[in-house]
Amino acid sequence: MEAEAAKLIGAGLAMIGAIGAGAGIGVVTSGAVQAMSRNPEMTGTIQTNMILGIAFAEAVAIYCLVVSLLILFVF
Amino acid sequence: MKRVWARWVVLAAIILGLFLFTGFFGIGLGIKPIMPHVYLPGEKLSETPLFGIAGLYPTNTLVGLLLADIVVILIAIGVSRGVKSGKTVLTGISGAVEALLEMLHGITEGTAGKWTKQIFPWFATITLLVLAANWSGLIPGNETVGLIHHYDHGYDLKQVGPITTIWDEGTDDGEHHGEYAIVPFLRPVSTDLNFTFALAIVAVVMIQVFGFRSQGLGYLTKFWNTKTLFSKPIFGVIDFGVGILELVSEISKVLSFAFRLFGNMFAGAVLLFVIGSLVPVFAQSMFYLLEFFIGLIQAIVFGMLTMVFMSQATQGHGEHHEEAH
Repeated sequence: MEAEAAKLIGAGLAMIGAIGAGAGIGVVTSGAVQAMSRNPEMTGTIQTNMILGIAFAEAVAIYCLVVSLLILFVF
Repeated sequence: MKRVWARWVVLAAIILGLFLFTGFFGIGLGIKPIMPHVYLPGEKLSETPLFGIAGLYPTNTLVGLLLADIVVILIAIGVSRGVKSGKTVLTGISGAVEALLEMLHGITEGTAGKWTKQIFPWFATITLLVLAANWSGLIPGNETVGLIHHYDHGYDLKQVGPITTIWDEGTDDGEHHGEYAIVPFLRPVSTDLNFTFALAIVAVVMIQVFGFRSQGLGYLTKFWNTKTLFSKPIFGVIDFGVGILELVSEISKVLSFAFRLFGNMFAGAVLLFVIGSLVPVFAQSMFYLLEFFIGLIQAIVFGMLTMVFMSQATQGHGEHHEEAH
């Protein structure tokens, strides 16, 4: 196989990790929305914690993205 | 009210017409959308190092950093002028900045408690600087206006009026054989790993400083926890292991801070290029709006994570653990 083709396939495979982050963000947001609808006074605190949770879940997808970008444009 | 509505419709029609006109005009003239070559580190604008220091080149992300700094300083001057004018209700930009800072202060008060006064400046500074850096990537002409240099897999050169530009003379098989590419003058600084790493290291070091300020040397027991090693048979060992893990997590904080901001902003820039090269009309505008939103979110997330970690460091984890067991 040509090295160029292997690079492209590898960059695509690296992004598989985004599945987990997507599912994680969905779980976090659904929980936060349920909590907010049950207890609207706590919306501010819940939102802060929700954004934190999303940021942590998203970080994993960003690692995948960085690996994929490194494969494509650096190596 | 009715007249205002009519004005919006006319404006929207004019913009739509311009879009369609330039789109069909471009297709008619045979202009092909160009996918510029993507380059991960900041590109050098000149080959002579700055101040004679080896390895310190004037890159286009450095120009972006200076732009972001200037914007933040101008905002500071504008707001202080607005505050000194004695008006009770600030208007214009200083009003918008006041609203943003008030929101950030509210979040800090809810999390940091009595340390609000010390932690808030870090939160606000990081958020404003990163926000200015992220949004500087949305200025038209940014990443497209620059110096032309030689590049093996680039495009051809063409003179359009007074402007020299790269031009896709592309043959039908999709191959292009030009030898030129553009090094833009300006690129948002948050697409440079050096900036995000520097900011992340500053943030994590200051988190430790806040830990020491609030708990003195006792803060070190968070990482080297031998208090319960002999008094509690199994949980003591677990506590010790958790301390070592805390040390690892401090280091991984630097990585995750740096890569989160860099990954989001660099991917956003590449996304705009790719969409622009696929669909030259309309589609890019939607992603432009998305980038506007992501720039704000990432700036707030970077600042907020710093703030939350700082207030966690001031609260002292050890005491909570003992209560829990």
